[in-house]
Amino acid sequence: MQVIDWQIIIKEHGHVVWNTAYRLLGNSADTADCFQETFICALKVCQRQKVRNFPALLTRLATTRAIDQLRRRFRREQNSIILDEGYVSSDSDPAKCVQQQELAVRLQKALAQLPLQEAQVFCLRYLNDMSYRRIAKELNIKTGAVGVSLHRAREKLRKSFSSLSNQQKSEVVL
Amino acid sequence: MKENENNLENAVEALKNGQIPPGPSKDLADSTLAKLNQVSEQSDTKNSNKQVVLSKRFKLINVSFKAAAAVIFLIAVGYTAGRISAPKPMDMEQIQIALEPAIREKVLEEVTQYVQLGLAGGYVQIKQELTEQYQQDLREAAVEILTTSGTITNQLLQDLIYSIETAQFQDRQWTVAALEQIELNRLEDKGRFGNSLFTLAAQTVQTEEELNRTQQNVAVIAKILSDTQSDDFIQDEIENSNN
Repeated sequence: MQVIDWQIIIKEHGHVVWNTAYRLLGNSADTADCFQETFICALKVCQRQKVRNFPALLTRLATTRAIDQLRRRFRREQNSIILDEGYVSSDSDPAKCVQQQELAVRLQKALAQLPLQEAQVFCLRYLNDMSYRRIAKELNIKTGAVGVSLHRAREKLRKSFSSLSNQQKSEVVL
Repeated sequence: MKENENNLENAVEALKNGQIPPGPSKDLADSTLAKLNQVSEQSDTKNSNKQVVLSKRFKLINVSFKAAAAVIFLIAVGYTAGRISAPKPMDMEQIQIALEPAIREKVLEEVTQYVQLGLAGGYVQIKQELTEQYQQDLREAAVEILTTSGTITNQLLQDLIYSIETAQFQDRQWTVAALEQIELNRLEDKGRFGNSLFTLAAQTVQTEEELNRTQQNVAVIAKILSDTQSDDFIQDEIENSNN
């Protein structure tokens, strides 16, 4: 069995897990839960197999946990995402900042409604800048399947965005 | 469509570039480490429990093997005792010696009878089959011969036609060559004849001129002579010059 010093792992790669989870969840409490779950999951993975690339594994696990948490959250029909005061756009314009926040919340909602694999692939590709090959290796699927999942995810997200914008337009007209 | 695409890209950018508070905190890291240790210990305990269960299972399997070996031993002993206490079998050789000549004679008779019947029936059938086969072979051979001879005849005829055509072609070529040669000769003769005629004509003109000149000369001479000699002498001179 692989002998791992978890203290070093947390010290070296903890911020990656934190950033990945926070980006998707948007608040510290959920992110902390996700952080712990990710490392426990990583421990179980290490007991089963030898891990060569810890950052990739932790990113993948953090993404999966975060998406799970997002789905749970939206299943409880909490339509409003609780955003921390820290979750603000880097833009200085307040209107733009609010707009960016709204877009981020929309994307979180849409991601929570996607199938797990498509959401994972989308997050790993666009939020964590992983290559197709790395994503395929981490999710244990073919590179072509990554492309297909990504395409589907984009299509669904685009539809989701269009339906939301139509809804907003109708609200404005009323 | 493009607006949605832009919205999606903006949303991704917003999510990606949103400010994230620094983390994880030290407390979170420590608590995570503690949980990891706890989970690791639990899994170790589970592993040791699994090992205990496995050793118990191995013991149980060992006892089962011993019981099975004892049962097999008992069955083997019973089988051996049964074999030893069983009655002796009959002497097969004596029975074989007693029965063999009679069986052999009977079998020989039956085989002979069967073979004779078979031969008698088979002879006629074989004869008929052979006849049919012979006729069939003859027919096939005749057909083959006819086919072959037809082919050969055709081939020979084709060769003959070809050789006749070749001979005719050669004859025509020769005839054409002879005609060409005759024509060439004719043209050459014609040329020569023309040239000769021209030469003759030129010579004739020349001769005529010379004759005139001679006549003039003779006339001059005659005149001169008439002045100097008698008329008979002049007449003789003129006749001589004409000859």
